[in-house]
Amino acid sequence: MDPLIKQILFALLTIFIVLNYGLIVQGIVRKIGARVGRRYGIPFYQPYIDIIKNYSKRTRISHGIMYYIAPVFRLTGGIGLLLFIPVIFGNNMFQNFSFSGDLLLILYFQFFGVLGMALGAAESGHPNSAIGVSRGLSQVTAYELPLTLGVLSLAVQYNTLNVSEIVAAQQGGILNWSFFTNPLASIALLLAFLAAMGRSPFDVVLAPQEIPIGPPTEFHSGFLGVLQLNRAIFPIAKLILFMNLLFGGATNWGELIIKTFFIYMWSVFVGVAFPRFRVDQSVRWYLGVPLIIGVAAVVVSKFF
Amino acid sequence: MQNIGIEQISLAVGFILLLIGIWGMLSQKNILKIIVSFTIFETGLNVILVVIGYIRNKTAPILDTTELQTNTAEKIVDPIPQALVLTSIVIGLGVTALLLVYALKMHKEKKSLLINDYKDTKW
Amino acid sequence: MVDPIYIVAVLLGISFSLGFIGKKSENIAGILSLLALGFTTLVSAQWFYNFVTADIETYHIFTTAFKPPFSINLMMGKEEALFTMMINAIGLFGGLYMFDRLKAAGKNSFIALLMLIMGLNVVVMTRDLFNLFVFLEISSIAVAGLIVLTQNTKSISAGFKFMIATGIISGLLLLGIAFIYNYAGSLNIDHILTQNLEAAKGLSIAIFFLMIAIVLEMKPFPANGWGLDVYSSAESGVSSLLSSAYATATVFVLMKLLPFAPENLQFLIAAIGIITFVFSNLMGMRQDNPNRMLGYSSISQIGLLAAVIGISSVIGEYTYFIVISILISHFLAKSGLFWIAGIVKQESIKNWSVLRSNKLLLVLFGVFIFALTGLPPFPGFFGKWELVMHLAETKNFIWIFAVLIGSFFEVVYMFRWLGYAVKNDIIIETKLKAKIHQIIPLLLFAAAAFGAGYYVSSEHPYASLINYLPLAVALGFAFIEFLPVFIKNTLAIAAMAAYFYFNYESYNELQVIFAAIFIIGGILTLIAGYAYKGKRQGFYPFALMMFAGLIGLVEATTTLEFFFAWELMTIGSYFLILRGKKSIKHALSYILFSIGGAYLILAGFGLAAIGKPDISIGILSNIELYAPWIFGLLAIGFMTKTASIGLHIWLPGAHAEAEADVSPMVSAILLKAGVFGLIMLFLAMGEQFIGNISFAYILSWVGVITALMGNMMAAFQEDAKRLLAYSSIGALGYVLFGLSLMSHLGWLTAISFSVTHFMFKALLFLAIGGVVWRLKTKDMYKMGGLIKKMPFSFISVLIGIIVLAGVPPLTGFAGKWLFFQAVVEKQWFLQGAVLFFSGIIAFLYCFRLIHSIFLGQPKDEHRNVKEAPFWILVPQYAILMVIMLFSMLPNSLLKPIGDMLMPYFPDGAITWDGQMATTALGYWNGKTVMFIVVGVFAIVFGWLVFMNRNAKKVKQFNIGYAAERPFLPETTHYAFNFFAPYKKAIGFLVAPGITNFWHRVDEGAHSVSDKFTKIYNGNAQSYLIHIVAFILVIYLISFGGF
Repeated sequence: MDPLIKQILFALLTIFIVLNYGLIVQGIVRKIGARVGRRYGIPFYQPYIDIIKNYSKRTRISHGIMYYIAPVFRLTGGIGLLLFIPVIFGNNMFQNFSFSGDLLLILYFQFFGVLGMALGAAESGHPNSAIGVSRGLSQVTAYELPLTLGVLSLAVQYNTLNVSEIVAAQQGGILNWSFFTNPLASIALLLAFLAAMGRSPFDVVLAPQEIPIGPPTEFHSGFLGVLQLNRAIFPIAKLILFMNLLFGGATNWGELIIKTFFIYMWSVFVGVAFPRFRVDQSVRWYLGVPLIIGVAAVVVSKFF
Repeated sequence: MQNIGIEQISLAVGFILLLIGIWGMLSQKNILKIIVSFTIFETGLNVILVVIGYIRNKTAPILDTTELQTNTAEKIVDPIPQALVLTSIVIGLGVTALLLVYALKMHKEKKSLLINDYKDTKW
Repeated sequence: MVDPIYIVAVLLGISFSLGFIGKKSENIAGILSLLALGFTTLVSAQWFYNFVTADIETYHIFTTAFKPPFSINLMMGKEEALFTMMINAIGLFGGLYMFDRLKAAGKNSFIALLMLIMGLNVVVMTRDLFNLFVFLEISSIAVAGLIVLTQNTKSISAGFKFMIATGIISGLLLLGIAFIYNYAGSLNIDHILTQNLEAAKGLSIAIFFLMIAIVLEMKPFPANGWGLDVYSSAESGVSSLLSSAYATATVFVLMKLLPFAPENLQFLIAAIGIITFVFSNLMGMRQDNPNRMLGYSSISQIGLLAAVIGISSVIGEYTYFIVISILISHFLAKSGLFWIAGIVKQESIKNWSVLRSNKLLLVLFGVFIFALTGLPPFPGFFGKWELVMHLAETKNFIWIFAVLIGSFFEVVYMFRWLGYAVKNDIIIETKLKAKIHQIIPLLLFAAAAFGAGYYVSSEHPYASLINYLPLAVALGFAFIEFLPVFIKNTLAIAAMAAYFYFNYESYNELQVIFAAIFIIGGILTLIAGYAYKGKRQGFYPFALMMFAGLIGLVEATTTLEFFFAWELMTIGSYFLILRGKKSIKHALSYILFSIGGAYLILAGFGLAAIGKPDISIGILSNIELYAPWIFGLLAIGFMTKTASIGLHIWLPGAHAEAEADVSPMVSAILLKAGVFGLIMLFLAMGEQFIGNISFAYILSWVGVITALMGNMMAAFQEDAKRLLAYSSIGALGYVLFGLSLMSHLGWLTAISFSVTHFMFKALLFLAIGGVVWRLKTKDMYKMGGLIKKMPFSFISVLIGIIVLAGVPPLTGFAGKWLFFQAVVEKQWFLQGAVLFFSGIIAFLYCFRLIHSIFLGQPKDEHRNVKEAPFWILVPQYAILMVIMLFSMLPNSLLKPIGDMLMPYFPDGAITWDGQMATTALGYWNGKTVMFIVVGVFAIVFGWLVFMNRNAKKVKQFNIGYAAERPFLPETTHYAFNFFAPYKKAIGFLVAPGITNFWHRVDEGAHSVSDKFTKIYNGNAQSYLIHIVAFILVIYLISFGGF
């Protein structure tokens, strides 16, 4: 078989696995959230139902071309991100398309979908959408700073920006994980991770009770369906990235699922425990302690 | 007293006149008095000029006697400063006349001869 | 040849004969006088021509049978010929200019004019001290006569002050002459000079009086109130005579008598001169009355000349060149400006907007201002250059500072004045009419300014190498201003294309890259010019002048050529910026920063040339002395153009208020001139250190802070073009940082980013310019929903911001990727993190830009707007295609630049394998990223279209809005203060601290200026006290006591 076609088939398989995993985790997390709040909650397969429902809606309206293709941007961003990350360490096929670029490509490509979505949301003409975008972008600038510092610290530590090489360097025991070898960078990254996942206390973007759900307010039916697919894939892609950077990556799908699930739980636990920050609060918070830790991480790895 | 001759006295008088003139120009408020001070200043200047040409015991460079026509240079004073003084006096006259015309015109404008009243252009 | 004695004879003869002419025949008197002056001008000109071409011998004129020293003699040498020619010419043309005024005042005024010119001629030619005194007196009496041509309180009292002051001064002169005669026994200058002047103490005091009188005639600070009052209250024509003829003669007298002065007195005179230069210009800054301002300027220029003459023993043989080139500029420009002031007759420079009613006068005014402030191609430019070079060579650094700061003050008020004339919005409903006899002298003097500039440069060993062709083409466009835009635009594009085509092969790679940005970029932005209708007067000469300057920078082989081109570019761009709306303030701050920067560059070049045999650009690469200073001066100079933080405040206004196609020119192209300068500097000088700290390290922080502040300020703008302008500041911060990395990757980033920045900024400015063109507003919150009206502009902006934000897969990402490879390689992580942060902030303003303008709710008043003009779209799509090409094939941009950098930075280059780029740290394949993204996008898009094929379009406001329907787009379109929470969180970082700082500097300088002018209280006696005190102080300084 042509290696390219084989690669594409494996990529599709990756997407399929991640999609299902994402949807199930989503359901489970909502369930956990409900139980913490002393409610019964939804069944864990509720996300599947939602997607099927959305695709079956008969009323479909469009606010214009950017609105129409915004979900495409969003999902392309999610899938692309996933495909640029080496998923399973040691497995050539599940490296997917990570030969296209290194960590920097991944860091920048995550904005592809975000910005495309923002444009579509803006064209819908709904003020809440624009407000959501404004908040989202503001918050992104803030948490990217500790994130970058953490990544730079890792880049110094391993002297590479190649994700596969970073994973390779962490093999051979738990204590080789960056989480243990570079705790400062890990703390900075994990704090940034909270906002990257968009959960409370950093959920001002969607802010359900305030600005209904922010950017996607006007999206419905198939448009929302596409967004929901992304909502399953995108967080998992990010989880895989953090797993690769800090927790030694995964050599098989089982390990991947366990590790990513626990990383996810970190944001979930914080989310159910803390109420929402205002935008200016979250911006200032990230420019405080996490920033200092990030700077410390860089300084430590540069000079020690 | 042997050393002090007419030339020293004249020189001193010239400088005193000069300084009086300057003092007058700086202190008098009346335009006409300023002009008068200016002429005093000039007079002092002219006196100094004449003194420079003067050499004791020598005569005017008018060669009317035969005695003067031999070794002339040793017997006469230097004629050039005297010629210069003439020119200087003429120029002084012109300047003084012009100043007076200005004083007249200024008086016509403001009916005042006080210098302090003419401060329209400044800064 | 005509014997020079006829100059005196004819002038005297005609003025006597005028006495016999009847009272009613002033016309005849006037014509006779002008004929006489024309004759004398020709005589001097003929002598000068022969001195220059045939190198004839100096001619002596003896007045009696006795030979000097026993008689008065005159002399006609090359210098005398030139100076009398200037004096006679100003007499002739000044007389022509004032013809009707003089005629109205009666024939006696013609006599006064003739006597003035005659007196000054003799003052220049005579070799006899007493004769000098007499004719100076004659001249000043004649001036006093001319002052009362206008008779009002001001002019009469000014005349009185003048008479009294010159009376004292000439008394002093006479005293000095008398005592010199007493000691030296001669009045003949040459004869006295053969004697031992050091012998007697008395003689030195006599010489002191002589010299101080001459210095006082030149109106030194602060004993010059009497001169200022005359300048400001006399008839403009008379002021021009005083400034150009009288002052020119005194300059010559100083040159002539300088050998009398012992060395310390010469330096004292020089010090007085330079102090006068600095303080007069400082005080000129607060002037509102044009004539008085010109008076300050005249005094300062003469002070500068006195300074140059005073230190001629230091400067050496080039003194003459410097004096003549500065003097000619001053002479032509100052008389021209006084004459124009006489036609305009406005008491306040703010009202000079009236000058716009007469285009010809406006152009002449501009020419004279430029000539006066020593900008190219006028002679003063070369004079100032040579002066600074020699001051540097002899290590007189304080002097360089004084010369430059004084010149800078002059630029401040001269350009403020020019700005008022060109742009002030005070409308005065009078049409300026200049009579033909007033226009002719102005035209001739303006032409002479160009001619003199060319002549002076041809005399200079390096200036003669300057390539004047581009400038000539630019000036040529001034003569075809009557043609419609279409033809001129085509010609301009053709000229630039042809120039590039015929020259690019002679450039090296670096030159090709920048020449391409400048010329091809220029052509692209010029294409947008087709959108304009009518004639668009005053655009093409300056646009081409700017491009001429830019290409001159690229081609420069000597520092002089570089500096010349730099100034040329500044002038052109200044006028382009001044064309914008409400541009007075911004254009002024632009020119001030530019000229300030240019002076730093000049000083840097001066230091660099110390001890070097020539001034080729190459000297920068082997500097032994003062290397950190040179580096610092040049770097800061270049950074004024790249608008680095602290020096950026001119940019936002200047770029935002400019026209649709000018904004991309000044923002996307012009800023690269600074980048080119920095590259040249870094390549030549490498890393420099202050103590242990590398300059590059400091610049890296300047770069990242610039990037951060620029981007953050951009995020808080409501004005679309201002937003883009701040974004340019940020982008140039990136470039500066990249250069400061001093590594292969860093430079690759900086240079490729320069190219990319050109593309996306031109794209965005053109697109936004097109939108503003249609909407007539720049405020984003007043727009909205334009995507449906202007889809093509929308696509441009969309692509533009994606490239700007550096999001893959477009070419902007290449810049970001390279940056971080370079940062990690260099281990400058903190800078890298700040840079990344500012890159993310770029998302904020990018989104705001496209959202507020194109998305959201359209406003009612924009229901009928059309797509931007076709010709503004054309260059955008040309750029778009290049962007797509570079995105697909990144190595088509990066590889040539990398190859070019190999000789300078051989280590750490990128390895290319097809489109796969690999560094020591990471890798990136632009092509596969593009394919993957496009592929996934297409599949998802297909899926969505399949699912939503029957989605129906809805009208505006059909949104879920809490069960209500909003009706006003103004209240529904969330756009004003878009990032309010962000501003609340970290807005304090962008408080206008730097702008306030510069404002305080500005106010401080003006209030100091104001304080000093208070010494001129208008009282004649105070002025006398100044003079007496001045003499006393100078006496005490030179003979001990201090």
